[in-house]
Amino acid sequence: MGVGDMTALKRERERPVFLDLAKIRLPVGALTSILHRVTGILLAAGVPFGIYLLDRSLRGPQGYAEVGALFENLAFRIVAVVFVWVLAHHLLAGTRHLLSDVDIGSQLPAARRSAWAVNLAGIAVALLAGAVLL
Amino acid sequence: MKIGFSGLNAWLLQRITALYMLVFVVVCLVHFTVDPPHSYQAWRGWMMDSTISITTSAFFAALLSHAWVGLRDVILDYIPSVALRVGLLVMLASALVAAAAVVVHIFWIQAA
Amino acid sequence: MRFSIFRYNPERDEKPYMQDFDVDLKPTHVMLLDVILHIKDFQDDSLTIRRSCREGVCGSDGMSINGRNGLACVTNVRKLKEPVELRPLPNFPVIRDLVVDMTRFWKHYHSIKPYLVNDEPPPPKERLQSPAERDKLDGSYECIMCGCCTSQCPSSWWNPDKFLGPAALIQAYRFISDSRDRATPQRLDDLNSDPYRLFRCRTITNCTEVCPRGLSPSRAIESIRLRMLNVDGHQGGLALHRVPTIR
Repeated sequence: MGVGDMTALKRERERPVFLDLAKIRLPVGALTSILHRVTGILLAAGVPFGIYLLDRSLRGPQGYAEVGALFENLAFRIVAVVFVWVLAHHLLAGTRHLLSDVDIGSQLPAARRSAWAVNLAGIAVALLAGAVLL
Repeated sequence: MKIGFSGLNAWLLQRITALYMLVFVVVCLVHFTVDPPHSYQAWRGWMMDSTISITTSAFFAALLSHAWVGLRDVILDYIPSVALRVGLLVMLASALVAAAAVVVHIFWIQAA
Repeated sequence: MRFSIFRYNPERDEKPYMQDFDVDLKPTHVMLLDVILHIKDFQDDSLTIRRSCREGVCGSDGMSINGRNGLACVTNVRKLKEPVELRPLPNFPVIRDLVVDMTRFWKHYHSIKPYLVNDEPPPPKERLQSPAERDKLDGSYECIMCGCCTSQCPSSWWNPDKFLGPAALIQAYRFISDSRDRATPQRLDDLNSDPYRLFRCRTITNCTEVCPRGLSPSRAIESIRLRMLNVDGHQGGLALHRVPTIR
């Protein structure tokens, strides 16, 4: 057994794999799905803050006023609009999943259309919130 | 190693809590658009009404269990090491239990 | 027409690289496989692929075509955007060029017991099945195990050894739906025995997007979940889709 044979054996144990995500197409449903996951994580991260705000607003008139005052801050309002998109996308994509579970819209042509609809509607809701808050 | 529960039960919990939360959020959105509270008294009075505090507590129970299933899925998907997975799941469970304790305090201890 | 093809020869190459080929399309070059074989015949005979039936029924020539998996023999070459990028099925070890090691794929398939389990004494001729019962296999029996779905599935990418993947799962559905099989409770319990085997599926539907036979593994998996809850989903089989894949 020469060095060349050892290299070939080593190669067999280390076969390369093609998984360059930049070279793999993302169908529209996959985009909806990954955003569903990302928005879920962001919402979960925001829950502690949300519970904190709820608590403050219920402790007394001063706490209530303080929470209301946050909305006068422009930066906070911008974050709130982004958060509206996060919530809207997660809710809409989740509703699409619930319907698919009971076989509504789970055939491919309908699934593609609903994926587009969810992606666009989330943005539309955020734009609406932006118009109201900003 | 199993932390949590079987695939089917987790999935079902995720779906049922999702449905409850969807209805709750839509009802809340409609309510606050049509009849927003204008003062601390109105806000607190509405929130501490017995029906509202029960349905809202249920909402938080649903939210925290839904977050558990979802984040557990993320951990199961992306973390190959068993030790790290177990560690993260324990941290996640602790954080959710802590959040639940705060919610109970808001609606059932502080309010009393 | 320009083709950019993934090359890797373990005896020669340190790592894979892309090689460009230019082909003047003749009228006889209808499907992508025709062109690949032409390249092999006239430009570089070391180019290595699997192929057999050349009509979309054997499942041998599955590959990533411009980022989406498909069968080269039923992909119309003139509909592809240039340069046409051909790569092996994602996340399977590459043996050489466009040929991948499907061992893991077959292992998952065998683990779902892809055969009828029925200990009742066999009748004199065959185990009978009414046309309505036979219809329930539509939309799942047609699977040719080409691997396009499983290798396009992100859940399979992240947990290739523990998640069964859409192909094995649609075959599991095929046997769960077969009226001659008597092992449905055991099949369902097996799929629910850990959070990985079936339940990594998030209904991303990449599988359904790329299936060259128009099947919906994602719908089959949804139906299995409903069966686990004792809800009988479809009265007939699953429908096929004929939506063209966009490349």
